[in-house]
Amino acid sequence: MAKTDKTTNMKSKPNKKKKKNSGPKSVAMKNKASKADNNPFETIWSRRKFDILGKKRKGEEVRIGLSRSLAIQKRTNTLLKEYEQTGKSSVFLDKRIGEQNNTLGEFDKAIMRSQRQRQLKSSKKSKYNLSDGEDDELGIPGLGSLSERDDFEDDMLSDDDNYDDREADGRDKRSNVLKQLNAHNPAERDLTEGEENKHKSKKEVMEEVILKSKYFKAQKAKDKEENEQLMEELDKTFSSLVQSEALLSLTEPGKTNALKALVNKDIPNEHLINDGKKPETFKQEQPDSYDKLVKEMALDMRARPSDRTKTAEEIAQDERERLERLEEERQKRMQAPDDSSDEENEGNEKLSTLRPKSISGDDLGDSFTLDEEPKAKKGWVDEVLERNDASGSEDEDSSENSDDAEVDEGSEEDDDAEEKTVSLQDWEQSDDDDLGTDLEEGEEEEKELDEENDDSTDDEEEMDPRGSKKLKDNVTVENRKKDRKSLEAKNIKENHAQRSVQRDIPFLIEAPKSLKEFCALLENCSNADIIEVIYRIRVSNAIKLSAENRKKIQVFYGVLLQYFAVSANEKPLNLELLNLLVKPLMEMSMEIPFFAAVCARQRIEWTRTQFCKDIKNPENGCWPSLKTLFLLRLWSMIFPCSDFRHVVMTPAILLMCEYLMRCPIMSGRDIAIGSLLCSMVLNVTRHSKKFCPEVIMFLCTLLMAAKDKKSSSHEESEFYHLRIQVLRPLLCIRDRVNDIRPLNFLTIMNMPEDSSFFSSDDFRSSVLVTLIETLQAFVDMYEGLSSFPEIFLPIETLLLELAQKQNMPAALQEKLKDVAQIIKKKAGDSLLLRRPLQMQKKKPVSIKLLNPKFEENFVKGRDYDPDRERVELRKLKKQVKSEAKGAVRELRKDNYFLSQVKEKENARLQEERAEKYGKARAFLQEQEHAFKSGQLGNGGRKRKR
Amino acid sequence: MEGIPITLSDQNSKKPGVIFVLEKASLEVAKVGKSYQILNSDDHANFLRRNNKNPADYRPDIVHQALLSILDSPLTKAGRLRAVYVKTEKGVLFEVKPHVRVPRTYKRFAGVMLQLLQKLSITAVGKREKLLRVIKNPVTQYLPVNSRKIGFSFSSEKLIKIRNYVDTVNNESDLVFVVGAMAHGKINTDYTDDYIAISGYPMSAARCIARICEALEDKWDLL
Ligand SMILES: C[S@@+](CC[C@H](N)C(=O)[O-])C[C@H]1O[C@@H](n2cnc3c(N)ncnc32)[C@H](O)[C@@H]1O
Repeated sequence: MAKTDKTTNMKSKPNKKKKKNSGPKSVAMKNKASKADNNPFETIWSRRKFDILGKKRKGEEVRIGLSRSLAIQKRTNTLLKEYEQTGKSSVFLDKRIGEQNNTLGEFDKAIMRSQRQRQLKSSKKSKYNLSDGEDDELGIPGLGSLSERDDFEDDMLSDDDNYDDREADGRDKRSNVLKQLNAHNPAERDLTEGEENKHKSKKEVMEEVILKSKYFKAQKAKDKEENEQLMEELDKTFSSLVQSEALLSLTEPGKTNALKALVNKDIPNEHLINDGKKPETFKQEQPDSYDKLVKEMALDMRARPSDRTKTAEEIAQDERERLERLEEERQKRMQAPDDSSDEENEGNEKLSTLRPKSISGDDLGDSFTLDEEPKAKKGWVDEVLERNDASGSEDEDSSENSDDAEVDEGSEEDDDAEEKTVSLQDWEQSDDDDLGTDLEEGEEEEKELDEENDDSTDDEEEMDPRGSKKLKDNVTVENRKKDRKSLEAKNIKENHAQRSVQRDIPFLIEAPKSLKEFCALLENCSNADIIEVIYRIRVSNAIKLSAENRKKIQVFYGVLLQYFAVSANEKPLNLELLNLLVKPLMEMSMEIPFFAAVCARQRIEWTRTQFCKDIKNPENGCWPSLKTLFLLRLWSMIFPCSDFRHVVMTPAILLMCEYLMRCPIMSGRDIAIGSLLCSMVLNVTRHSKKFCPEVIMFLCTLLMAAKDKKSSSHEESEFYHLRIQVLRPLLCIRDRVNDIRPLNFLTIMNMPEDSSFFSSDDFRSSVLVTLIETLQAFVDMYEGLSSFPEIFLPIETLLLELAQKQNMPAALQEKLKDVAQIIKKKAGDSLLLRRPLQMQKKKPVSIKLLNPKFEENFVKGRDYDPDRERVELRKLKKQVKSEAKGAVRELRKDNYFLSQVKEKENARLQEERAEKYGKARAFLQEQEHAFKSGQLGNGGRKRKR
Repeated sequence: MEGIPITLSDQNSKKPGVIFVLEKASLEVAKVGKSYQILNSDDHANFLRRNNKNPADYRPDIVHQALLSILDSPLTKAGRLRAVYVKTEKGVLFEVKPHVRVPRTYKRFAGVMLQLLQKLSITAVGKREKLLRVIKNPVTQYLPVNSRKIGFSFSSEKLIKIRNYVDTVNNESDLVFVVGAMAHGKINTDYTDDYIAISGYPMSAARCIARICEALEDKWDLL
């Protein structure tokens, strides 16, 4: 068709393109030779825009004129031809061989044509014609030799295979042989191939094969011999090795024996070999036993060290197992006390010694270790209450039981008490209960102990100068943990000593459901015994043992708290017992934290309502009772004080502050209680650093009470007169005081309200000392407050005023001055740090800065879009666009070219026509002329005719 | 807490702006080995010598420092800078917007410049806005009509204390400072109104710019 006919024309096209691509320069050079002189425009080079250093200018260096003329030339070759052939119905098609390929010369073409001719001839005829050999080789040179070569290779391969098969069993021995063979083979093959190229004859090939196989055989025999020799040598050395010590040391004795046996067996064999009688059989046998042994030995070598570690491991394992067993036993003993008392005894002893480990005595004073339970979310008390509600119905039975049991106790306000909290309310109302008598018999002993205890605390106080000046009780409370430790130790010792002497305590004690039951249990018990009893109750009703024990323990917890409260209210006070009770109470609170919190809250609420009632007639003293103080102290030990908000501690602190704020200070006793409360608040808020203005105010009021009435009346700031009542100068020291003795809070509490001690200067100075101590602690605590100067500076002046007083003891004076000094310094510091009030400064706003986006190792033309697909798409689009542009350009040029051609054609035609016309006209003119002139004579004739 | 703003919020009441023109910046792209790079005297000394160039002339770090010193100035931060125009030794002119954060390290700066000179523009990260772009010469067509164009050279006879000089300039017209960003040679002065030296010592371009900026900050109370 048209395409095919184009081929002849087109053949030059790809050619030229290629050339152009490879570099127009070269084309230019080529063409230069031919027609450099022809067109001066073709010598013009394109101008480059930027000279970029180091860049090979490939595409830029174009001779515009030349490329243009080339393009025109191309068009004349292709488009023009096509154009010329349009409208023609037939074309000349050149199908001669080799005509398409214009690289071939005329001669080559001729050769190809003749070849083709021959092929055609032979393929047709050779089917039936017997070839005469020569023809074959000549005609298809590769074919015959190829088949031959194939055959040969097959032969070689099969040979190899056979070889392999034969020797497969003795591969190891022969490995070197094989290697040699392998090394040989390729070279040889190359050789054969090389020779093949020279068209070897069959005979030659066969000869070669035979030669080769012979060579291999010889080689094999030689190797075999060598191997045997080597083996013999090896055997000899091996037997000598077996006899030597080295192997012995390396292998296990059993194995060595086997080895020896083997060698012994071998040695005769060797003899045999040497004799040359039965070498074959030996060879068959020997590897088996030997190999086995060797393998075993290899394993031996590997196993031995691991064996050793294994034994060590085993020891450890055994030890562990033994320990686990013991631990199991111990656990069993701990959790489930056996019925037999002996074992129980043992278990107890173990437990009591173990206890301090799990909950050390140090825990007691430190509220932080009790943190687990109060990780309180806001509403967990509500949660607890709900839970209690839910369990209320379940509880009913037991609580009813306890209720029944407690009917005798006659709790007057039983009516409004809900059933579920019976036990709680029982102990709340224990204020009114009087159960003290139960314990009187044991008290004598306890007193002695008490005194001991006091002594020890005194000792400690002396050692601790700061503590010694505080209220005695405060100290003792703080020292409780120390006491506890020593007491515990004592306790344990006593347990041993006393148990044999004293009456037996039953080992399994059902949890008492009421205080009365409990008191009955504790009849005639020493302090240690009481603790022991509590302990045994807890053990025998451990929560872990069964679910209903939880209720029992909860009831018992209530009872215990009640007991604690009752004993705190006793006169005389059994302080040691209280101290001892703290520990089980704390431990139990940890076991049943929710219940403990609920108990405490209800107690606090109740106390508060009581307080509100009392405050209405302030005459009969509304300061908290000793019991309340002890309970507050207990809670501050049980619950964490540092929490920002805590279900128990927050109301407890509020309650304490309220006491300080609202209770009128009537007597020395009130002052003592107040200062105790202050130190308790200090203790509680020490970590959280909560600001309690009530405390500061109370302290301040007391300090003012130390002043003379006349001087104090006028210049006090109103801030400190928030308290309504006018203060009597209760703490004004009248006479000289020689030495300041620390107060014992308990003794003070035991004193009657109108005791003369309260109006003694001794008391006053001691109280002042404690006050100042507490004040200093608060100063230290609140130093971070921004209003520190405002809070404490008035106090500083007050302190200095006090220090000026005549009768002030020197020590006290110094203290006052010290504290004043501290306040002054700290106030100064915080004032220094204060910044004056400022107008709000507007920082100038900087203009918004933007980061430029750029690529590291930027390469021009690469798309840095992270979206691959989009990049691809864009690339394709770009390509399409450029291609389309190119096509349009080409088309335009083509059109231009064609129009030019057409124009030329037209012009030519025009010219032709004009010429023809001219000719015709000239002819006619001539004729006319001739006619007119009568040259021809024709016309004349015609006319004449 | 809403405070009382102490300064009256002056709502861009057409304050005069500043334009810097860095002349003869040495930013030349070359194909070193396989990749294109901005030529500098440190890394390409051998390459430059091979091509019969003086390595000492290839100092793109000067432009870097100069740009940093312009764009880091409180003057710029306060929004007084209108634009920076950089004209390279080869005659390529590009504009730098005042809110560009010029890369602090030379290597990254060179990366930006390389890309700019090949792609002809650099956009902001995550935006289409063009922060740097190559523009057509001459630079004068971009300068405000009534601006005062001041050329700087150590070689000028007119040694002036810049603080005093900026005071004399009237307060409405924008200021164009033409500073050379090359190692040697003088700036083209055919479009500058004035041609001054601000120190008796030859200074680096960055230092010179810093002086100018400080003087203006002082004058306009930009702290
Ligand atoms: C490294 S200097 C070029 C030194 C060159 N010999 C010259 O006299 O300008 C770069 C640019 O800093 C500025 N410059 C340096 N010292 C200057 C001075 N003392 N006074 C004014 N401009 C200075 C000029 O704008 C100069 O083009």
